[in-house]
Amino acid sequence: QASPSAPTPQSKNSILVSHRQRGNPLLKHIRNARWTFADVVPDYVLGQSSCALYLSIRYHLLHPDYLYYRIRELQKNFRLRVILCHVDVEDVIKPLHEITRTALLHDCTLLCGWSLEECGRYLETIKVYENKPADSIREHMDNDYLSRLTHGLTSIRHVNKTDVVTLGSSFGSLSQIMNGSMDELARCPGIGERKVRRLYDTFHEPFKRVP
Amino acid sequence: MLAFEQQVLADLVEDPNGGLVVLSSGLPLASLAATLLLHLHQTPGNAAGGGCLLVLSATDTLKARIRRRLQDKLQVHDVPPDLAAQQRATLYASGAALFLSPRALAADLLTSRLLPSRVQALLLLSAHRSTDTSSDAFICRLLRQRNLLPVYAFSDCPHAMVAGFSKAERTMKSLYVRRLHLWPRFHVLAAADLERAPPDVVDVRVPMTPPMRGIQAAVLATMDACLKELRRTNKVDVEDLTVDKGLFKSFDEIVRRQLDPIWHTLGKKTKQLVADLRTLRKLLDYLVRYDAVTYLKYLDTLRVSEGVRSVWILADSSHRIFELAKRRVYQAVRTDGVNVSIDNKGTPTKKRKVAHNSTKKGKVTENEDSTVGPNTQKANTDVGIVLEEVLEEAPKWKVLWELLQEIAEQRMKSSAGNVHDEDKNDESGIVLVSCKDERTCLQLQECILKGPCQVMREEWEKYLIGKAELHGLNKDKRKSEQPKGVGVLDGEVQMGSSESVCPVSISKLETNALLAAASELRNISNEADVKSSSNSSCSKAGGAKGKPKKTTSKRQGSNRKNKSKEGNDNSQGTGLDSEGQSGKADVQAEIVASKMSAYDASMSASTSNVKFNHSSAFGNLANAKPLPPVQFHALDSDHQVLDVWKPSVIIVYHPDITFVREIEVYKAENSSRKLKVYFLFYEDSTEVQKYESSIRRENEAFESLIRQKSLMMIPVDQDGRCIGPTVANEPEPPLCQNSITRKAGGKKAPEKEMQVIVDMREFMSSLPNVLHQKGIRIVPVTLEVGDYVLSPLICVERKSIADLFQSFASGRLYNQVETMARYYKIPVLLIEFSQDKSFSFQSANEIGDDVSPTNIISKLSLLVLHFPRLRIIWSRSLHATAEIFMSLKTNQDEPDEKKATRVGVPSEDGIVEDDVRSENYNTSAIEFLRRLPGVTDSNYRAIMDGCNSLAELALLPVERLAELMGGQKAARTLKEFLDAKCPTML
Repeated sequence: QASPSAPTPQSKNSILVSHRQRGNPLLKHIRNARWTFADVVPDYVLGQSSCALYLSIRYHLLHPDYLYYRIRELQKNFRLRVILCHVDVEDVIKPLHEITRTALLHDCTLLCGWSLEECGRYLETIKVYENKPADSIREHMDNDYLSRLTHGLTSIRHVNKTDVVTLGSSFGSLSQIMNGSMDELARCPGIGERKVRRLYDTFHEPFKRVP
Repeated sequence: MLAFEQQVLADLVEDPNGGLVVLSSGLPLASLAATLLLHLHQTPGNAAGGGCLLVLSATDTLKARIRRRLQDKLQVHDVPPDLAAQQRATLYASGAALFLSPRALAADLLTSRLLPSRVQALLLLSAHRSTDTSSDAFICRLLRQRNLLPVYAFSDCPHAMVAGFSKAERTMKSLYVRRLHLWPRFHVLAAADLERAPPDVVDVRVPMTPPMRGIQAAVLATMDACLKELRRTNKVDVEDLTVDKGLFKSFDEIVRRQLDPIWHTLGKKTKQLVADLRTLRKLLDYLVRYDAVTYLKYLDTLRVSEGVRSVWILADSSHRIFELAKRRVYQAVRTDGVNVSIDNKGTPTKKRKVAHNSTKKGKVTENEDSTVGPNTQKANTDVGIVLEEVLEEAPKWKVLWELLQEIAEQRMKSSAGNVHDEDKNDESGIVLVSCKDERTCLQLQECILKGPCQVMREEWEKYLIGKAELHGLNKDKRKSEQPKGVGVLDGEVQMGSSESVCPVSISKLETNALLAAASELRNISNEADVKSSSNSSCSKAGGAKGKPKKTTSKRQGSNRKNKSKEGNDNSQGTGLDSEGQSGKADVQAEIVASKMSAYDASMSASTSNVKFNHSSAFGNLANAKPLPPVQFHALDSDHQVLDVWKPSVIIVYHPDITFVREIEVYKAENSSRKLKVYFLFYEDSTEVQKYESSIRRENEAFESLIRQKSLMMIPVDQDGRCIGPTVANEPEPPLCQNSITRKAGGKKAPEKEMQVIVDMREFMSSLPNVLHQKGIRIVPVTLEVGDYVLSPLICVERKSIADLFQSFASGRLYNQVETMARYYKIPVLLIEFSQDKSFSFQSANEIGDDVSPTNIISKLSLLVLHFPRLRIIWSRSLHATAEIFMSLKTNQDEPDEKKATRVGVPSEDGIVEDDVRSENYNTSAIEFLRRLPGVTDSNYRAIMDGCNSLAELALLPVERLAELMGGQKAARTLKEFLDAKCPTML
């Protein structure tokens, strides 16, 4: 739970928030990580080597130079430097272009949130995931048969989950699906001409088209 | 060539800029294109003197039709995108007519493999797909900026031409044409041509069976409920949401167009509702297309695949759908507990009755009684429920049968009167039955061969086998799964839970037994008793339909060898050959009778006599019943059949507006030929509704186009050029666009312009087009790493939103970013939102209370944490992306094409190959392969080298796999996965 109390030595496990951010309604939405005010240069210190600057596009429109000066202050102390951009205007193209450019040229990673909740969630997540391995975004899948089968077959365009079940139940096994004739494929309900052709070509066309 | 077609062309070629022609669907687009090609070919009026005629994005069907029309007068070469670059260049140099895909053409124009001056004209055959950012428009611009060649655009999709604000006008601007020609079916000239000698039309209204009507009413009620629910969200325009509109495919478009900009603000439920409506529409469609058993099977599948998510499945009326669908197939009859023992006998008796139909099964049934006994007894001890088969046949089957017989009778009568008269007409006597899909064709074919009962029985048996097997599997492996499934099925219904569960499990036990019997039976009859089984099925069908007995007896001898499956395949093979000769690759729409028809033509006896001769001579190939030769045609397969088979009777089994028009045109072209058309409609069904409103919709589209045409403003500049949306960059060829390089400062040589290296595969998207509009030079190559290389330091991976989610899920993105970060100093992830969709991932209320690992925020955060060097561009639209690219390139060196292609290419390949490398692979097969368990990044190349295709891979023994994959364990994992039984349906 949030405890915006006095800065205590537990600061290692919490987000350090710059005093500049006092009064930012965003703070209300940081609930899954502890946070505490501290004397830090960036707006938020999210870990040993990561920090974030908060910028609302509306503010940027009023003070176009603000971001640049803030970034310059950061110097090279952090590996990951996030610019958390709160998209709170309708016409975003021009300001976002400027922000993108500034971020890119000054080695910052831009993250966009469309609501304070979303922005808050980014901060929380980066803190919570500080030491998390990347397994959940690397190649992996559920281990049960059907989801593996679905994972494979749906890589073929237009084939959906229902089709996977249909194919599975009418052919019995994947190797039989892979060796099914066009007729057999066409007999499956819900599998139209286009899908039949796609499936058939995927299985029967050689991997390398040119000899 | 009809008179109005000539008028269409005359109008079109009048303007040297070309024009856009919008036709009613079904009007002869192919013949127009063919004639136009021929005309252009014969009049090399162009200053360049000839040159290529390019035909863009023609479908295979259209290609075949155009070729057919052209015959030998003009050869049109196909240029597949995977053709080697040199061969493409030779084809361009030859100045021939070519079919091309826009992707390859754009790349070739950019690399100057094809010079615009070498092109005589450009034909676009689906203009409704063009927008100012589409690849068609890109090509038009590439061609027209240096050479004023005509662009002839066609569209036979009028309602697509009115989708969106002044779509027609914008399309014309982006294609640089000024003239719009509208040719609706109701155009005076067209109508006059088509109605001069209209075909003889008979409308047959077939009543639906009560359960069918019930299902239809229930589906409609459910749809209505969904729509009401959707309306209550206050997010959509209420007027467009009617059940009537809901029947169409375009309904999704209507809803999506309204909802897309606010999609992220919608709740889960609303999104599900939209998806449900699509499912329901499919259910309505399948109701009239599939037989009762298949329909039930499909419902079962649906229940498994989306049972938990869907809203509609839980609705009251959807319970009715399932109930009625089941009742069309079988019924669970409940009896008193006292009668249990009798019931036990009841079941086998029922079966025996069925068995009697097919004569020889008696013995087997006896045997199996003993096996069935204990099974059923066990189940029936607590509740007495028996399974009773209903197996309702589709009403149209019977009507179709009667029609065919009626036709045969008429023929017989008329031929008895005037034999020679028939002879003179070169009628094939073929009856063409046109259905929506291949499935129906095959099934109807079987119906005619074996009789509907038999077909239903086979479907039923297949269904039972599936059920039984799965039941067995469920018992073994997934105990938890089964009760859940039943819960979804019956949970909402206020029945006693024990009651609702029991019939299901009992029916399974029942089916187990029935099934075992069925498969046993089949084995026996296949191996030992071929003759008798075929006999029995024949005589059964004969009994049911009153088939003359003498032909049956004649057939027996020949039946013996051919009745089996192989026989069927054989005949298909021969059929295929004859098809091949007539220039059609219509493998599926093949039927035994095609052979008969060939003989028909050659024989000089009267038609009906010929038929009888055939039935005795070729009885082994087809049915021996006194039916005319029947051809089946699937509308889905989209092949031209009318000209090939020249039918004298057409039965439109599934009415479709396009096909009807084709019939009209065919008849108008062959006005001397007699043609009778039967329409089979289900009375009071959505089928009729759908057909009628499709006509209405097209007419409305044309009316709107006519209005638009009168108000249209197409600007013209002094050269007579039509000014497109990007005037500023237009007139100067990109080579002299030095002005743009001002942003690059003094760093580089002034004659060099900005350039971006683009991966070949990216030409599917519109970004290269837009970049080109901004005056950036596009260098198309095949990139192993990244999609765009902006400078030696900056490499961009582009992800549309859908891509982003998908490649996060598959883990691809992680790999892609990893390699980008390895080779480039500034790896960039471009998240590209679509201009007309909302600029955001999700609505605030979709963000849960906790950090969940599946949320996109979590995934992005994790990615950012692991690649602190990764830069992210959030782009609102294509144009915004282009702007950002340009400003990023400021003060950067231009990228080196050679270096970029070499990056990330696995060293084992050694040499860097030509840019067609990726095109030479079956990419979807490789993607599939890489997703198989046991296959890894390190061994998939070896697998590809070791076997030809996936089909081959599936048959390889484990030892060989182990060799290829470099490990026993991986090989075993893969093999087990390939051969595992699918535990799918509940």
